[in-house]
Amino acid sequence: MTAVLTGTPVPRAAGKPRLTRWVLRLHRPALYAWAGLLVALTALLLGLRGPLADAAAEGWRQYNSCTGTARCSYDQDAIVRYKDYYNYATVALNALPMLVAGWAGAALVGRELESGTALLAWTQGTSPARWLAVRLAVPAIAVAAGAALLSWLHHLAWSAGRGRIDTAKDWYDRFTFYAGGPTAVVLALAGLAAGVLAGLVLRRTLPALLVGMTVTAALRGVTEIALPHLWPAVTRVSTTDQVPLGAGLGVDEGVITRSGARTPVPACHTEAQCRAAYADITGRWSTYHPYSHHWPLQLTTSALVLAVAALLALGSFLALRHSTGAPRTTEKATA
Amino acid sequence: MVEYRIDRHSGVATYVQIVQQTKQALRLGLLQPGDRLPTAREVVEATAINPNTVLKAYRELEREGLVEARRGLGTFVRRSLGTAPADSPLRTELEAWAERARAAGLERDDVAALFTAVLDTHFQGDPS
Amino acid sequence: MSSDAALRADALGKRFGRRENWALRDCSFRLPTGRVCAVVGPNGAGKSTLLALAAGLTAPTEGSVTVLGTTPAAARPRVGFVAQDKPLYPQLTVAETLRMGADLNPEHWDAAVAEEVVAGGDLNPKARIRSLSGGQRTRVALALAVGKRPELLLLDEPMADLDPLARHELMGTLMAQAAQYGTTIVMSSHVVAELEDSCDHLLLVGGGRIRLAGEIDELLAAHLRVAGAADATGLGAHTVVESKVTGRQLTALIRPAGPLSGEWRAFAPSLDELILAHLRNPGAPALPERSAA
Repeated sequence: MTAVLTGTPVPRAAGKPRLTRWVLRLHRPALYAWAGLLVALTALLLGLRGPLADAAAEGWRQYNSCTGTARCSYDQDAIVRYKDYYNYATVALNALPMLVAGWAGAALVGRELESGTALLAWTQGTSPARWLAVRLAVPAIAVAAGAALLSWLHHLAWSAGRGRIDTAKDWYDRFTFYAGGPTAVVLALAGLAAGVLAGLVLRRTLPALLVGMTVTAALRGVTEIALPHLWPAVTRVSTTDQVPLGAGLGVDEGVITRSGARTPVPACHTEAQCRAAYADITGRWSTYHPYSHHWPLQLTTSALVLAVAALLALGSFLALRHSTGAPRTTEKATA
Repeated sequence: MVEYRIDRHSGVATYVQIVQQTKQALRLGLLQPGDRLPTAREVVEATAINPNTVLKAYRELEREGLVEARRGLGTFVRRSLGTAPADSPLRTELEAWAERARAAGLERDDVAALFTAVLDTHFQGDPS
Repeated sequence: MSSDAALRADALGKRFGRRENWALRDCSFRLPTGRVCAVVGPNGAGKSTLLALAAGLTAPTEGSVTVLGTTPAAARPRVGFVAQDKPLYPQLTVAETLRMGADLNPEHWDAAVAEEVVAGGDLNPKARIRSLSGGQRTRVALALAVGKRPELLLLDEPMADLDPLARHELMGTLMAQAAQYGTTIVMSSHVVAELEDSCDHLLLVGGGRIRLAGEIDELLAAHLRVAGAADATGLGAHTVVESKVTGRQLTALIRPAGPLSGEWRAFAPSLDELILAHLRNPGAPALPERSAA
């Protein structure tokens, strides 16, 4: 694939149709919008990592040094500003897969099938399969590169606040988790594949937009449900008079009876009830993921989502072949 | 060079119109032996008729020995037709007659009808 | 299988949806290369479906279609197609659209003929497609299809949006392609008159079936328009496509099976009469091509 965007006529190497250039040309507005979004979020995340985090940390230092006196002066604005901006950036990264899915379903594929321009493309010197391959690959590269940059910056910004800012999000805060790692990248890619498949199947702009976004949101929901089970969790045991242990992504917890059995936390409503319920209990147990599981969980989630994205992409090719009736052996002439 | 004019409402088959117009050009001396007929591409581009129609007409002309197709070169006139080139005495006479007819008050249609009737009398049975 | 067929259908059928909604059914014909074929029929007869099947843009439900001796998908690089609504990318300019044609058909792009088609319409190359009229869009769509220099050109209602002048000029360009490169052209229309002079082959589609298929000259020669007294007899030996009694006179369009008895006056039918008679009488036996398969 030749990814040149120059308009100057270059002596053509005969043979290869230049689909890439035309995908970029046809979706130039989306490319510009993506570039603009990247610049804005990069600036925001760099700010969060540097001056905004420093100012908020200083605010918290001032606040924590207050010793209960009536007048305590600290920079509350900096703390609130950091929190707000952090939330904006995190929400943007969480919304990115849905955004990509909507764009892919509507503009990249759905509109082409609705208006018939896909038929125009398929009857040039390229096969529909190649048309689809380029429509998946070129945005995938742009989306993956941009999302990788943003999620890395988000992780840096989050790290900068960790331990310095009391209201900083924990690593297992679900919006933080899906913004600051490879999961952000693969979810965006899955969104692309879901949008493309929706566009090919529904052949209409608006339904493809809605279905693409819904499927992507559902995929995100499923990964959230599956997340605790994607890496072996750690179990800690503590006695009843200790503070429950295990700050991290909780999986399950309960109590330990005198006989050593692990049971769920008993339900009780009155003091008498509770005394009775806890009479037999000697300790607590908790199954959870500590911070050391952050990267393993990121990677297993990513692998899972990537597999789904691959299946969606494969489904797109099958849907295309079903509708155009192209047999398996058609690629030799032009590919 | 001739330029064909196809009249789709004449009721005459298109290829026959081309044959007739070619013969007309031969009679009038607009086409002479050795001249090249327009290529099928040139004819169809100007008239939007089917190329096979032109080829059919040219084959008909070739069958009558009027033209000859030379592969890759084109179709060329082999012999001229009739004895009435544009400046022949017969034409001069006919023009004088037409002027008299007009002076006598005949309309174009009257003249055509008269002419056709005389043609029918004298050339009965001849192919057109 | 004869290799000189540009397009060939065998028991071809296409159904949309699960229900008995056949757009085209039981469709068999053979179109030799180098022909200019008119696909004629009323709106909704299945013309567009037939062309889309031939272009490999949709898969048949049953039967098969062979294009340039191979499957429609494999033949696609050698086939030009213009869909009925002339889809083009609205955000591109005319010049960009042609450049796209060159880029996507690097092996055989004829820039000269594409530019000639566009130039005939007095189009500004910098104009965006979305600003063009229907006729101008048709011109650009045709330029793209012709510029590909295809062996088979499939055109769905190509002349519908054009004024008579442009129609004549573009038909001339298409015929020139056919004359120079032997391009087989298949074009659909529901107006017979606009295709009559340009086409030498006919596919008459009605109610999702092929009603007539063959060389126009042969089809015309195979039919007679006859007139006689209403009580005259002797038509029974022939295939009667349509007959009508007006007062004491009976007129009919027949496919003679032998000599006609003397009490009938016979005329050669026009193409229009032939087509209308067949469309008005879907019950009349179809005339499949004699040379089929």
